Amino acid sequence: MAAETLPFWLALQAQQRPARVAIRHKQLGILQQSHWQSAHQAVLRAARFLQQQGFDQGDTLLLLSEPRPEALLLSLAAHWLGGVSAPLDPAYAQPQLLDLLHTLRPKFVFAEAQAQVDQVLAAKPDVPLVIYADARGLADYRHPAIHAYSQIIARTVDEALTSVAEGNDVAFRFYRLSALYQLEYRELTHAELLNNGRQLVEQEALTDQEQALAARAFAASGHARYLLSPWLLAGFTLNFPENLATRDTDRRELGPTLVAGTAATYQRLYALTQSRWPLPGSWQYALVAWALRASQTQLPVLATVAHWLVVLPLQDVLGLRRTRVPLLVGEPLSAEAEQFFNAIGIQVRAWPEESAWRTSQLQVIPRQSQDLGNYFGLKALRSAV
Amino acid sequence: MTAAQPLLALDSISLSFKGVKAITNISFAVNKGEICALIGPNGAGKSSLLNVINGVYQADEGRITYQGISRTTMHPQWAAKRGVARTFQNIALFKGMSVLDNVLTGTNLKVKSSWLEQVFNLGRAPADALSQRQKAERVIAFLKLQPWRNSIVGGLPYGLQKRVELARALAAEPELLLLDEPMAGMNADEKAEMSRFIVETRREFGTTIVLIEHDIGVVMSLSDHVVVLDYGKKIGDGSPDEVRANPEVIAAYLGTKHGETA
Repeated sequence: MAAETLPFWLALQAQQRPARVAIRHKQLGILQQSHWQSAHQAVLRAARFLQQQGFDQGDTLLLLSEPRPEALLLSLAAHWLGGVSAPLDPAYAQPQLLDLLHTLRPKFVFAEAQAQVDQVLAAKPDVPLVIYADARGLADYRHPAIHAYSQIIARTVDEALTSVAEGNDVAFRFYRLSALYQLEYRELTHAELLNNGRQLVEQEALTDQEQALAARAFAASGHARYLLSPWLLAGFTLNFPENLATRDTDRRELGPTLVAGTAATYQRLYALTQSRWPLPGSWQYALVAWALRASQTQLPVLATVAHWLVVLPLQDVLGLRRTRVPLLVGEPLSAEAEQFFNAIGIQVRAWPEESAWRTSQLQVIPRQSQDLGNYFGLKALRSAV
Repeated sequence: MTAAQPLLALDSISLSFKGVKAITNISFAVNKGEICALIGPNGAGKSSLLNVINGVYQADEGRITYQGISRTTMHPQWAAKRGVARTFQNIALFKGMSVLDNVLTGTNLKVKSSWLEQVFNLGRAPADALSQRQKAERVIAFLKLQPWRNSIVGGLPYGLQKRVELARALAAEPELLLLDEPMAGMNADEKAEMSRFIVETRREFGTTIVLIEHDIGVVMSLSDHVVVLDYGKKIGDGSPDEVRANPEVIAAYLGTKHGETA
């Protein structure tokens, strides 16, 4: 197995830390854990299944999902077979997402739940493989291409499956629509990802004791660079929120030491604090304003009082109290937000997003209204299939 | 109960309050897995009928057959134990408790441990507590209430409180769910969301649902079967299309078209 690949590092962690927690995910209100050994096994089983379904070296697995362990493990399964993982940003508006799917004509897809399965079927009714994680609403679907992730993982792997990935293989491909409705993409090879990850691990002295939170996992290339590959290199625990709506509560409960966010992540946290700010003119407002100034003074007594009275509670509310490595990937923060985070002792470090977007040969043609009608008339389509 | 029998059948039910007839000689049946809507103007006797079905009110005349067992009177405890759950027109939640705690109260009926075991957390109590929590969490996830799991119910918006009430009813794992105006006071988006939850409840759990709703658009799109009441009497009973075409219903409730009155 080539050393400069993500599968190599997964296998290595499974060998070196088999019983340490690799992934934690909140499900039905309770944190579920996967150890490196079981994560490795899950990837092998998923890879075997993908292979049986015709997934080959160079093929692409499209991910249509919010952050969840299944998306991560299936990505690694695609990498194991020398394939590419292509996560689409779930924040895309529905029509744009349908346009993208229609243009990409995916063959292998991970669709989180019924809504995403419907989107895929609307864009490509004859899609060869759709794997889903959340079975809700899918019981009546009779499409032969649709498979449950839980069933795939329940299968045992009879024989060894050696990874065919090479360091220079593309591991991730990210797509976006330009303002001119041109399809653009950005690719990251295994070697690039591991280089970036290694820099981060060394510079921030990351160890296997870190608790990282993957709130927008891998939808942006920065997350693959600065969360996925450091996870595999350092062997720490990657935590997934219950869902996007609970990520702030989950962050508070988990207290991650490593947070890799975009400007939007930090701006949202800043806005959350602003929304709960005391009214101007009140003594509470004056106290908070004073404390944020005092926390940065050189006078230790004042700084300590401010720290205990205001800064620590604020860090608690944001779930950043234990955060040792707050990373900002991509666009810079606004000056006010940056000032605020500095004042509460969160020194956000910017990491570059190096690879450029390239224009694809594929031309995105906006879908016609009858196509969208077809999407909303999926019931008929499903029964026909 | 055989496969051909309905889950619930009302036979000649009448109810009066101090001589005032609230319900007069009403009969209809609800099949298993059906969404049945009770509609009618205010004071038509819809809520009273729901109260008769789950035993809050005792009918003066008639019989109720539920799960193949025919009775002249229902009792709330008997009905609840046999899988009848309900929500109320005016939200009846424990406002000072969290969403999770409110939903947990819905699971109490299935508890096997005695109060003594629960007090000392002995015997069957720990297993019960775990099972209750799992059931409650499944319902919370089903109704997408996770972000508010630990929020105090009294502080939540009205639409969410309605959803919590539905969650508490579902936590009892009902076979028959009675919903008294589940969408009252909601905006269009909230109604659409609640409608989706009701349809998914039937689809995922196979629950039979009897609901009272004033929004005719919602009723017609949601229901398999509509029963129309007016002044305590049944004036229509059938599929949404049949009810829509029923002249008596049109005259009494849906209104007549312009030009037809002349």
